[in-house]
This record gives sequence, structure tokens and C-alpha cells, in this order.
Amino acid sequence: MYLLAQANAWADIPVGEHLFYFSPLIALVCTMLAIVACPIILGRGARTAAVVASLGVVATFVLALRVAGAVGDGGVSGLSTWIGGGILIADNLSVCFQIILMLFVAGVMWLWWLGSAEQERNAPEFFILLLGSALGMALMVSTVNLLMIVVAFEAASLPSYAFVGFDKRDRLGAEASLKYMVFGAICAAIMLYGASLLYGLVGSLSVVDVANYTVRHLAGGQAPILLWIALICFLSGIAFKISAVPFHFWCPDAFEGAKIEVTTWLSVVSKAAGLLLLARLATVFCTAVDYPVEMTLVRPLAWTIGIMAAITCTFGNFSAYKQQSVKRLLAYSSIAHAGYMLMAVAVFIHPSVEGHEAGLTALLVYVIIYMFMNLGAFGVTALVAWDTGSDKIESFTGLGRRAPWLAVPMIICLMSLVGIPPLAGFIGKWWILVALGSLHDTVGVQGWFSLSTLGWFLIIVAVLNTLFSLYYYLRVVVEMALKDEGQPRVRVPLGGAVLVNLCALALLGLFVLANPLKSTADRFSRDIFQATATLPAEPDSIASATDETD
Amino acid sequence: MGILTLLVFLPVLGAVVCLFVPKQQVRTVAVAFALATFVLSLSLFGTFFGGGEDSTEAIFGTQYGKLHHVERATWIEGKNFTVEYFLGIDGLGFPLFILTTLIAFLACLASWNFDRWKINKGVRAYFILFLLLETGMLGVFVSMDFFLFYVFWEVMLLPMYFLIGVWGGSRREYAAIKFFLFTLAGSVLMLVVLVAMYFYSDAPITAEMSRLGTEGIASGYRGEDVLISHGTFDLIELATNPVIQSYFAAKSTLFLGLKFAPVMFMLLFIGFAIKLPCVPVHTWLPDAHVEAPTPISMILAGVLLKMGGYGFLRLCYPIFPTGGERWAFFLAVVGVVSIIYGALCAMAQTDFKKLVAYSSVSHMGYVLLGIAVMTQAGFQGAMFQMIAHGISSPMCFYLVGVIYDRAHHREIDRFGGLWLTMPRYGTLATIGFFASLGLPGLCGFIGEIWVLLGTFGARDKYVWAVPMAIIAAGGVILTAGYILWLIRRVYLGQEREEYAGFSDASARETFVLIPMAVLAIAMGIFPMQTVFNYTNGTLDLMLAHVANATAMMP
Repeated sequence: MYLLAQANAWADIPVGEHLFYFSPLIALVCTMLAIVACPIILGRGARTAAVVASLGVVATFVLALRVAGAVGDGGVSGLSTWIGGGILIADNLSVCFQIILMLFVAGVMWLWWLGSAEQERNAPEFFILLLGSALGMALMVSTVNLLMIVVAFEAASLPSYAFVGFDKRDRLGAEASLKYMVFGAICAAIMLYGASLLYGLVGSLSVVDVANYTVRHLAGGQAPILLWIALICFLSGIAFKISAVPFHFWCPDAFEGAKIEVTTWLSVVSKAAGLLLLARLATVFCTAVDYPVEMTLVRPLAWTIGIMAAITCTFGNFSAYKQQSVKRLLAYSSIAHAGYMLMAVAVFIHPSVEGHEAGLTALLVYVIIYMFMNLGAFGVTALVAWDTGSDKIESFTGLGRRAPWLAVPMIICLMSLVGIPPLAGFIGKWWILVALGSLHDTVGVQGWFSLSTLGWFLIIVAVLNTLFSLYYYLRVVVEMALKDEGQPRVRVPLGGAVLVNLCALALLGLFVLANPLKSTADRFSRDIFQATATLPAEPDSIASATDETD
Repeated sequence: MGILTLLVFLPVLGAVVCLFVPKQQVRTVAVAFALATFVLSLSLFGTFFGGGEDSTEAIFGTQYGKLHHVERATWIEGKNFTVEYFLGIDGLGFPLFILTTLIAFLACLASWNFDRWKINKGVRAYFILFLLLETGMLGVFVSMDFFLFYVFWEVMLLPMYFLIGVWGGSRREYAAIKFFLFTLAGSVLMLVVLVAMYFYSDAPITAEMSRLGTEGIASGYRGEDVLISHGTFDLIELATNPVIQSYFAAKSTLFLGLKFAPVMFMLLFIGFAIKLPCVPVHTWLPDAHVEAPTPISMILAGVLLKMGGYGFLRLCYPIFPTGGERWAFFLAVVGVVSIIYGALCAMAQTDFKKLVAYSSVSHMGYVLLGIAVMTQAGFQGAMFQMIAHGISSPMCFYLVGVIYDRAHHREIDRFGGLWLTMPRYGTLATIGFFASLGLPGLCGFIGEIWVLLGTFGARDKYVWAVPMAIIAAGGVILTAGYILWLIRRVYLGQEREEYAGFSDASARETFVLIPMAVLAIAMGIFPMQTVFNYTNGTLDLMLAHVANATAMMP
């Protein structure tokens, strides 16, 4: 019965007005189709494909900006007349992510153009995979439907697997791709299993219903054990995307084996998409009907995510110590940064609206800054590796003399990753610390397991990790600035130097412009899709549906 | 744009200019900008000149917190707090500010022979980093917003790391990374306090506002009405706003289950103690000093170490006076141990530069002791000791550098009879080392004796004050021991064959040494006119504020 009710939602043809809100996604799909069509009509030139892809990215970006101007009050849920059961959502969060995504796609394409455009014979495929995974990630953040989450998750993952092994003559890449795929497939299967269990329990695919069901049963003190299993299974899939410990095993291998443009791509957006999806789910759960303030779910969940974040960033930092490849070192560093960002997510599980707005703002600021830091650091690594043929730390020796225009931005990006003022990385860290400090129980729970203890515990973990991470970032700096063995100068394409220096300048600029950055992030973290904004049509039907499934 | 902004960012402008001028001109540009900063900073004297009892109040105000040349602008607005670009100068920052511009100029001049260094590549990078370092140092002494203070504090790190790591001696990598890790360890503790400050200053203000039903709470200490309605990083506001102060001091204010003020005080203390440095967190200092090039050693000893002491006086005591009371004994012990241990270590050194480095540990121990006892003479003496040490120790380091340039080694036992070989250098060296020793009539004496008097003066408050003072006075004897022994081994005795050909101090070297020598003598003879007149007003008000707060302690 209930399935049918949902299916009816599909019967309504979406109005044109709604389609406008999803125009960035549509533009992305059209671009992919155009890239497929291009080789047939215009030949398989790298240049043609790049031009078409760039045009598509620009169009998507412009459309996303226009949508950003239009959404703002609670979001639009399209492709369905019943607003709570919508398949897709357009709200500030999803649009913001699309904008970030397009900026980053442009950066990665720039990098690709510098490094691989000349010898690349599979340019159309490259762009299809790139935009395909971008589409998948954009979808991940634009939905609260279990099925759609799983589909978007796969849509983001499948191109990534192929992407990692893109150079089919490269054994390391093939191995990395296989590892990534096996691990990813298992996680996706677990996630799907969790989703199906949730559907079985709740009788609805909407996360809003799942949240209401969970809250209601927890408040009644009779949550079935199956619910916990389902939730944990579902969340482990997301943890895989974020590469949170213990779901991180794919990350260093895949990052090392893949082409450097691909590594750059995955290191930022794959994590950002997972984190923002988690943020969206947390928002829905926290705004579910009857969400009781003294909710028993809050503390264990916040502690779990908090501990996971603490372990992830500590593990990432300590594993980076002994790495000989800068690419791999940055891969571990990206695990550590996923840990910092996950700390911000721990703040979402907070019953007050200010709480998760603070957390979401911190997360968005961090993602934006992190994008520039990683693009810069990976960009320099790529430029050095292309010229010297190796991304080992030794190939950076004496870079300060061999290529000052690479060494200086590299130092700026690495120190920003540490989080030292006056660089933007500190601002990112600052907002996370502030958000953590605001964690507190509303009902005045004191003692060691209170949320405020968690907040300060995470603050201390984060600042200690700053200290740990300094050492291995400095190893690269030491090679560049303090050592010199008279190697030849590095030939740097002008475009490459411009790209990395722009990133470095952005890091300095965003530090000074911390306030505009914050207010931008504030604007995009307000009014995002909430469960309370969209009460289900018949609350009773949920209960009856669950009775049937039980 | 106010004078302070101009002064703080003038070196950055110099760094930008250095980026574009030809390589041969870089050092000229750098020296010119350092000189311009110094000369311009002298204009601040106008504000603090006065003398006479009646003008003291006009200069320093009637309560702690009067600032001059205030510039404030909102920088970052959070939900419950505002980070301001807030500069201002008072009797605490002013002498250290002038000291910084002076030492930076002299050190820049000391770098003039960069071409003849062992590592002489990257002249442009060297001077750019040098000027960036100066900006960081100047910013620390005039930022009155905790966030801004932290930012400037960290801005110094990276240039210093490279200056030691690239242009240092044979173990430069090790020394540089040790310096960086130690200092960052201190600053992450400060970061925890920074975050805590936001929440713990917001809580009482919000509570008080809802109690009174007002829009904000006026604080009248600065002579202007500032209406604050939420948490703040304003260092003066944090120290003087009664609502915030009583909340910080209250026993019921807990941080992770511990009493708030002592914990915060301790976190800040460790951060500043690393910079000062005190035993046992001093180990980065000898390494950094020995490996750093001479001008950087001058900066390190002359200015960077003072930031630790400045931090105690600006942050720890005014904001957490009860913490100071709570930890007084502990701090005094650390101070006395530093004095004695530093002096004993200095006595055992065979490396000339390392000896001077350990003497810094010993001298900065007096600063800590003077502050810890919280008496008028103690505070004044600690401040004087910082300025005096800021003059004498760069001078000593430069004296070591001058001889190292000629002999290319620093082993004390291989020197001898240098006074005969280089009479002008020998004379200046004697002044420098005697100033460091604390000979009456030279600057080192006033600071030490004031600290000792201040410690004795605390005998009514603390039973341990007298024994501490006696042990610390023993440190003076040790200091005399190692300095006199040093002078005998290096400057006196028979002229040695191998050093016979050494030229005397050049005009440039003499020009660098003379200002410091003159100041060392002037400060010894006219302590009031050179230092006390500018600092005591603020220090006394701060002490009154601290005493007031501790007296009201529940």
C-alpha cells in the first residue's frame, strides 16, 4: 500500500519552475552527453573535449549561482508533489556544494591541461568520468531519499574506480583501482543492506520518515536492535567516502596509484560530499518531529562521531610521518583533515539550531579553504613530479632555488594545512574549534560524558594534532628550503605556476577576508532542508506501515 | 591609518620592495626600512614624555588599561564575539616596542656583510624574512586583542624557522625544527585559552544582561563608554570588566572540572615560559642560539625572549590575578631554578655563544622571579631586567659574532689576549659583558637588584620569599664568576700569535655596538629617565588591579 502511495508521487509531472532549481544538475548531464557526442561529430581531439567540458562547467557554475539566488527559504523539494517524499532537494547546502564542486572541477581540469593534455588520447573518457563523479557527488548532497542516496553514492563511486586506474598501462594504478573497487563495493553493499533494512523497518524511503521513526521509538525507549544495525550499516558507507578510520584503507593506495589530477580530485570532493551528506542526515534527524531535548540518542551519537574523528585525525597524522612519497604523505594528510571536518559533524548532533548552524558553517568554511590548500599542494607536487619523474620527497630537494615560484606556494599551502596564521587554514580550524566549544547539553548534564567535555576533548585533540602534523609537513619544507644538492632547475609551465600561486594568494586573502568568508558560509548553512518544515502527510500511516512490516 | 599600523606594517612594505629591487640593493633597502621604522617609532616618545607627578595620570590613567594611539576596527564577527583589529600602546608595550625597532635595525646592520657569510645564497629571501619577522614582533607588543596577539605571535614563527634553518650553522636543521616545535607547543596551549576566552567571557555578560535587562554592559575603565554585549577578546576589557573578572575568579567557574582561572593561567604560563625560556623548557634556546646567524641571535635574545615576559604581564596577571596568587610559589621556584641552573650551565660551557645563551636563561629567571612575587619592585625590576637584557645580550651576541667572523671558531679556551690585539673591540666587549654581569652603574645591575628587593619585600606575604631571594642573590655571584672567568680567558692574558693579524672592530661593527654600549651605561646611571618613567605608571596600576582582585578573592 505504502509503496504505491510513493509510486503515485512519480506520476505527477514536475512543473517547469521546479526544473529550474535542478538546472545545474541537468546542465552537467547535458555536458556529459555533449562530450560523448563530440568525438562522433568533431573527432577525438583533447582540445575539443576540453573546450566542451569547460563550457559545460561554466554553464553549470552560472546556473548554480542563479539557483543560489533563488533558494533560501527552506529549500525546494522537486520531482514530487508531496514535499516530504521528494527524490531531489535544492536548497542552500546543495547549491553551495555545486558551486564549490564546479570551482574545483575547473581547477582539476586546469591541472589536467598542464600535465596530460598532450599525450592524452582518451580525453573524452577522462572528462566523462570527471563530470560523472561530480554529478554523483552533487546528487549525494541533494537528496534525502534512501534509494537516491545509494544511487548517487554509486554514481559517484563507479567513475572514481575507473578514474583511479585510468592509465591502463600503469600497473600501480590498476592495482589501486582494484583495491579501491573491492573495498568500495563491499561498503556500498553494506550501505545498501542498511538502507533496505531501514526501509523494511520504516516502510518509507524518505530519511524524514526514518528520522521520525527513530526518534519516536527512542523516546518510547523501545528501539529495536535492528534499527541500530541498519543505521550503522548505512553510516559505514558514508564513512568509507570520508575515509574515516577504520574505513580508510583504500585511501593511501588509491591516492598513490592514481594520476595526480585524480588524486587531487578525490582528496577534496569525495570527502566533502560524504561529510555534507552526513551533515544533511544529521540535520534531518535533529529537526525531526518531537525531537526531545533530553534525547538519549544525542550523546552516544555525538561521542561516537567525535571519537571516530579524533582517531581519524590522529591516525592520519601519525601515518604520514614515515612516508617517502609526497603524494602518499598528502593522502594521509587528507585522512587527518577528514578527521578535523568530522569533528564539525559531531557538533551537528546537537539539539539546538545554533549548534548545527555553527557546525555547518565551520564545515563549509573548512571545505572551501581545504580545496585551495589541497589544489595548491597537489598542484606543486604534480608539477615537480612531471618534471623530475618522481613524487618522492627527494625530488623536492633544493626546490627553493630550483623553482622558487613553486617552493613558496608549496610552503604556504603546507603551513596552511598545519593551520598557522596568517594563513586561511587557521581560520578553518578556528571555526571548528569554536563550534566544538559551543557543544553543551541543554539540560545541564555535568560530568565526564557531557557534551561539553566532548567539545573540549576534541579541541585538545585538534590542537595537539596541529603540533603532530607540523613535523611531517616540515619534512617537505626542510627538503625544499634547507637542503640543496645542486639538482637542475625545474621547468615550470607558466599556467602551472599561476595556478599554484593563485591558490597561495587565496589562502592569504581568505585569512584577511575571514569575515566575508564566514558570512558567505553562514548564508549557505541557513535554511537548509529540515524535517520539521515538511511534516509527512499522514503521520499515522507511518505507524501503521511499521506495524505491517513488524 | 594610525601611527601604530604604519609602524607595524612598514617592514612588510620593505619586504615587498625587496622583492623587486636588484639583488645588490636588497640589503640597502632592508636597512633603510628598518632605520625608518626605528626613527618613526621614536616619535612615540612624545606621548610618554612628561616627568612630574601631575602628568603621570594623564599618560597612564588612573586605572590599568589606558592606551594611546588606539586603532580599532572590526575584523571577524562571530555569533557571540567580535575579533577586532585593535592596536594600542601603554607603558608595558612602549619600551619593548622601541627596543624591537632598535634591535631590529642594529641586527639588520649586522647582516650587512651577508656576502661574506658561509652560506650567502638567497640574500633577497633573507632580508624579506627578516622584515616579516620584525612585523610579527612589533605586532605582538601593540595588539590589544587576544586573537590578533595570537596571530602576530604565530607570524614570527615561520620567518624565524627559515632564518635559523637556512642560514644557520652546521646543525641548523635540528635547531630550527626544535625551535619551531617547542614554540608551537606553547602556542597550541594558548589557542586552547583563546577558544576558552570566547565562551567564558560570553557566558557572564549574557547572564548579566538578561539579569539587568539591558542591551549591553558599559565598561568605563578606558575613559570612553564601550558597550559590550557578548564575549570579547579585548585584553583590556577581559582584565577590567568587573562582570567578566568576577566570573573568571569565581570558584564555581569550572573548566573540565578544574577551577578556571588557575588552569588558564597555567596554560598561558607554559606557553610563555617556553618563549622566556625557563628551565625545563629552555632546551631549544642554546641550540637555536648557537646555530642561528649572529643577527638572528641578536633578535632572538633581544626581542623574542621578551615576549614571554610581556605575555605574563599582559595576559596572565591582569586577566587571571587569582591564578597568579595560586601559582606564586611554583613560579618563583621555576624562576630561581632557572637563575641558578642557567648560571651553572653557562659556567660549564666551552663554546662562547652557548655561554651567552645560557646566561640568557639565567637572566630571564630574574624576570620570572620578579613577576612571581607580585610586588611593586618585583614588577618594575622584571620589566627593567627585560629591557636591560634586551640591550646587553644582543650586544654580547654581536661581540661573539665579530670575533667569530675573524677566527671562525668559538672555543673560549683557544682565545686569549684579544684586548691587546683589538683594543676598541676589547673595550666595547668589556662594557657589554659587565652590563650582562650586573655591575653597578650598568644596566644589568638595576634589574637584578630591583627583583631581589621586590622578593625580599614580599616576605610578609610569603614565607618562602626570603630564602628565594637569598638563593637568587647567590645567582649574582655565579654570574660574576662565569663572566669574569670568560673575560680573563678571552680578552686578557698574553697576546696570541694566531690572532695577531686580526683587524680591530670596523666602523660598521663599532657603529652597531656603540648604541648598545651607550644605552647600557645610560640605563645603569639614569634608570628613571631611560626606563622607569615610561613603564612604572602602567605597572603600578596593573599591580593595584591585581592586588585588588586577589583581595576580593572569595
